[in-house]
Amino acid sequence: MILKKLLKKPIRFYQYFISPAFGQSCRYYPTCSEYALWEIECDNAFKAFFKSFFRILRCNQLFRGGIDYPVVKKNINPKFGIKKRITYWLVPKGKNKFIVIKAKYE
Amino acid sequence: MNNNQNMRRIIIATVISFIFFIAYDYFVLEPKQKAAAEAAAMEQNKTMQTLSSNTAKKTKINKSILNSKILVTIRAKDFEAKIDEFGRISSFILKQKKFEEKGKDINLVSDKLPKPLEIRFDNPKLNSEAFKVPYSADKTDIVLNGSKKTVILTQNLPGEVVKKIITIYPNGRYDIKVNLSKNAKYFITPGYRPSVAVDRLTVHGSLVKKADDTLDVIKDGDAEQKTVKKAIIAAGFDRYYTTLLFSKKPFEVMISPDNEQNPVLYIVSDSNLNLTGYIGPKYVDTLKSINPSLVDVVQYGVGTFFARNLFLLLDFLHKIVINWGVAIIFLVVIVRLVLFPLTYKGMVSMYKLKELAPKMKEIQLKYKKDPQKLQMHMMKLYKEHGANPLGGCLPLVLQIPIFYGIYKLLLYSIELKGDSFLWIHDLSVMDHYFILPVLMGVSMYFHQRLTPSNFQDKMQEKIFKFLPVIFTFMMATFPAGLVLYWTTNNILSIAQQWFINRVMAAKKAKK
Repeated sequence: MILKKLLKKPIRFYQYFISPAFGQSCRYYPTCSEYALWEIECDNAFKAFFKSFFRILRCNQLFRGGIDYPVVKKNINPKFGIKKRITYWLVPKGKNKFIVIKAKYE
Repeated sequence: MNNNQNMRRIIIATVISFIFFIAYDYFVLEPKQKAAAEAAAMEQNKTMQTLSSNTAKKTKINKSILNSKILVTIRAKDFEAKIDEFGRISSFILKQKKFEEKGKDINLVSDKLPKPLEIRFDNPKLNSEAFKVPYSADKTDIVLNGSKKTVILTQNLPGEVVKKIITIYPNGRYDIKVNLSKNAKYFITPGYRPSVAVDRLTVHGSLVKKADDTLDVIKDGDAEQKTVKKAIIAAGFDRYYTTLLFSKKPFEVMISPDNEQNPVLYIVSDSNLNLTGYIGPKYVDTLKSINPSLVDVVQYGVGTFFARNLFLLLDFLHKIVINWGVAIIFLVVIVRLVLFPLTYKGMVSMYKLKELAPKMKEIQLKYKKDPQKLQMHMMKLYKEHGANPLGGCLPLVLQIPIFYGIYKLLLYSIELKGDSFLWIHDLSVMDHYFILPVLMGVSMYFHQRLTPSNFQDKMQEKIFKFLPVIFTFMMATFPAGLVLYWTTNNILSIAQQWFINRVMAAKKAKK
């Protein structure tokens, strides 16, 4: 958990203070930094790191870009009757695989 | 309203943390440093400098050797060195104006012991004799006029004759042969590291390079008693200067911490020894001319690999264009040329994009209020038509090591110290007229205006607007060379964007 927090802090800092300096440049949705944040929150830290790393490598003019949600492997044990806000939608994609989409609130 | 508050909080937090650091620096760190310096001075007065190895611990040196008599004076165009009655280099003064600190010529031999070429014997009896009986020299005054000269120092100890044959070159290099009449274990040292350019920002200490090319860099404060076998370089260094001993034939080095855990190096031997030494600024060219492996003595801290290779590239450019500032500008041009294939593809997809303009407008209207959805649908559109005008994160991320490398090389390269460019009188320190940071801020503002952008939330948008101002203030204290790099990079980006826009406008006009 601490590791995840430590990974998230610099990304948030980047999003607010560094990224705006260069204007919009990411060829994907969600952007590489958002992708990394979602990955960290929904996957294990090492997998998240490597997946984000390769995502950044792919993020150049030689690749097409476009919509690319994180896909995570997960075993889900449903719990019912819990009042909780939804933070991520996990859309099933094959066995134990889910597309991660962040829930949005106004 | 809420965002406004957030913004205010961020600004306040930034200001408070700045104040904290300045105050911490002033009230805590400086007194600490002063106290440490005083303690060190006290220690000096007591002068019980000992080697902390088991055997050498017995080595005691009395007070008289601190104020030893000068035996030989060596004068060259660039330096004046003195050898004292115990056969040590007791001072080494650089005479060029460039190196002056506070209007005074600097002395590369530290006040702390040991002095370069000091010999200590393992046998305590012999050692105490060695610091009583003075050396004799065959010359007392040497003037180097473009060629090397040799001086022979002799010390007649009871049962032992020590000879140091020193050949000095005009560039600060020297060769030393130690001849003993009878074998005895002894330690010879390149001396305490220079204490001229020592600060918290940069690495200083000692390094040992082994015959297999591995490096052992020991920072001041982390030294531990240790012996390294098969070493070829033993060097002490501060930010800009070094004192080192080197030999192609591997030798044994003992790393010994002093009272502040700073490393002091001793070469261990028991018979005749041939070494090459150098005292002076860490000029890459000079070190390379003595031996290419000495280039490793120039350390750039974390990220040495990037910094060194960038320096070599920059040095190559500098030899063509003479000025370091111009060389930095050319470096930016080269980096952008390397990334050009990527940008070019972007330009091509810009044409394709033009045909999508009506659809884009439609989407923009539809998702006016939700930037995140707008972004998503735009990406979808790009992908469907195989066009994507955005540069991508990779070219951006690739710039980071370059930027960091330049920061490091500006910090450590003596070559760039004091080099002027237009109104900037030193590329390695901040621009005192603040022209360059302002130029950077302005170029950044225009660059922002020209590139498309959209935001996750309003807060980000606000920060975005203030960013040129924040960066101007932040970069104001950075080395001018670094700001120059960024400014040039911004200006080239603007030029490129402007060019693309014009080409597109021309195409439109044709239709």
